[in-house]
Amino acid sequence: MAREKSSKDNAQALFHSLRSAYAATPVNLKIIDLYVGFAVFTALIQVVYMATVGSFPFNSFLSGVLSCVGTAVLAVCLRIQVNKEFKDLPPERAFADFVLCNLVLHLVIMNFLG
Amino acid sequence: MHSLRIADRSPTPCSPRRFRHQVPLHLLQFPQSRLRPRIQVVPLHLLQFPQSRGFDLEFKLADDPKIALQRYGRYLYDALILFCPSVERFGGSIDLAAIIDFFDSGHDLIIAADSNASDLIREVGNECGVEFDEDPLAVVIDHISYAVSETEGDHTLIASDDLIKSDVILGSKRIVAPILFRGIGHSLNPANNWYVLKVLSASPSAYSANPKSKLSTPPTLIGSAISLVSIVQARNNARILITGSLSMFNNRFFRSGVQKAGSQTKHEKSGNEQFLTEISKWVFHERGHLKAVNVKHHKVGETDEPALYRINDELEYSVEIYEWSGTSWEPYVANDVQVQFYMMSPYVLKTMSHDKKGLFSTSFKVPDVYGVFQFKVEYQKLGYTSLSLSKQIPVRPYKHNEYERFIPAAYPYYGAAFSMMAGFFIFSFVHLYSK
Repeated sequence: MAREKSSKDNAQALFHSLRSAYAATPVNLKIIDLYVGFAVFTALIQVVYMATVGSFPFNSFLSGVLSCVGTAVLAVCLRIQVNKEFKDLPPERAFADFVLCNLVLHLVIMNFLG
Repeated sequence: MHSLRIADRSPTPCSPRRFRHQVPLHLLQFPQSRLRPRIQVVPLHLLQFPQSRGFDLEFKLADDPKIALQRYGRYLYDALILFCPSVERFGGSIDLAAIIDFFDSGHDLIIAADSNASDLIREVGNECGVEFDEDPLAVVIDHISYAVSETEGDHTLIASDDLIKSDVILGSKRIVAPILFRGIGHSLNPANNWYVLKVLSASPSAYSANPKSKLSTPPTLIGSAISLVSIVQARNNARILITGSLSMFNNRFFRSGVQKAGSQTKHEKSGNEQFLTEISKWVFHERGHLKAVNVKHHKVGETDEPALYRINDELEYSVEIYEWSGTSWEPYVANDVQVQFYMMSPYVLKTMSHDKKGLFSTSFKVPDVYGVFQFKVEYQKLGYTSLSLSKQIPVRPYKHNEYERFIPAAYPYYGAAFSMMAGFFIFSFVHLYSK
């Protein structure tokens, strides 16, 4: 009984510590997190749409989902590299990589959209 | 019945024919000294009609050594009338093979047999698809529908009105009086249902037997299976009339009144003249002879004929059909001419509508199958020449730029991709210019 109660307390304590740690992150990282959430949400909408209506122009479906997933992945990479604890490259370089990769991604998406 | 050889010939526009008939006369088989005046009038009455209808007639003896149907490979006549039922051998160069070649090449034939029909005439009948009764002494006897008369009492003169129902073969005016017949009967080979038809059949109470002897076995030819007058329309549109009575054609029968036994009505004139005149018009192609010309097809809205169509195109097909009226080509009027869009099986089958001037047309959508199709018109109607037209046309699928540019079902994906681009643009500004 005491163990269960303590495990439930542990979960609550974990949750609280996560929340407070997250509240302490810098604002720009939170903005990136918001952006990632938007991309994943759009991808989910498209998957639900395909499940109901059918996959008729499959290339369009893949292109739309890939644009969302690719955007999310690139945004995550940017978040890692912009973090103050990441010493390998300067944040300006990280941002430049992010922009370039996004351009290539959107070029491919437009071509595949049909 | 191998002799009606299959000559599948699509109709070509034909020019009006001047008919030249050759008539080996039945009466002239006998040497001149035995001419009986009564029979002398036999064929002339009928043959005045063809003459007044613009035909050139030539009369010849059956054993004239100079008669010939063709010379140097060209046929001299357009039709042949054989009124010589007891001829054993023809003179000149005519024999069974020559007669068969004559109608295989599309020419018409009228054959009259009678109660002393020779083997040669029976064989000609066999080649045409009819079988005369094998017993040479048998004639058609009918004890119930015979023609009432004072003199003959053996019921071999029968009055028949069991006619085929066809306006094109017998004319539009109904033949009211029964038709007098005295002669032999024939039966039709059932394998040729479509090509050989009974025009005048005997009544169900008729039978074919020798009137002068007692019947020892039941007769083989009985009832309505006996055909008195038959026609054949071959696949090459040659027309043949076969009858078992030569006396049907003579003046006496044409002019006499007729009363069918058992009925009260006495007709002033027998139906022979009207029947034979009308049916001879059919045999000589003055009725029921069709030609189809000017096959045209094009896309709806255009006038020129494309070399190929695309699937789901709207197209129009038209053909002009005319009927020969004896003097000129008249527009054909019918509601049952159909066109097929055919590739191994008809994908589209539509009845064409006409504009009363002989132009039959219809429009339909090309099916969603690509390949090489044919426009086929296969028209076979009782008494009319058969039309068999076919025109090949390929059908192609969509080119890559003939699909719709933006697919409505994919709009959410387009929206998602563009929203990602917009989001990236806005985010990069926010990221750069926020503290």
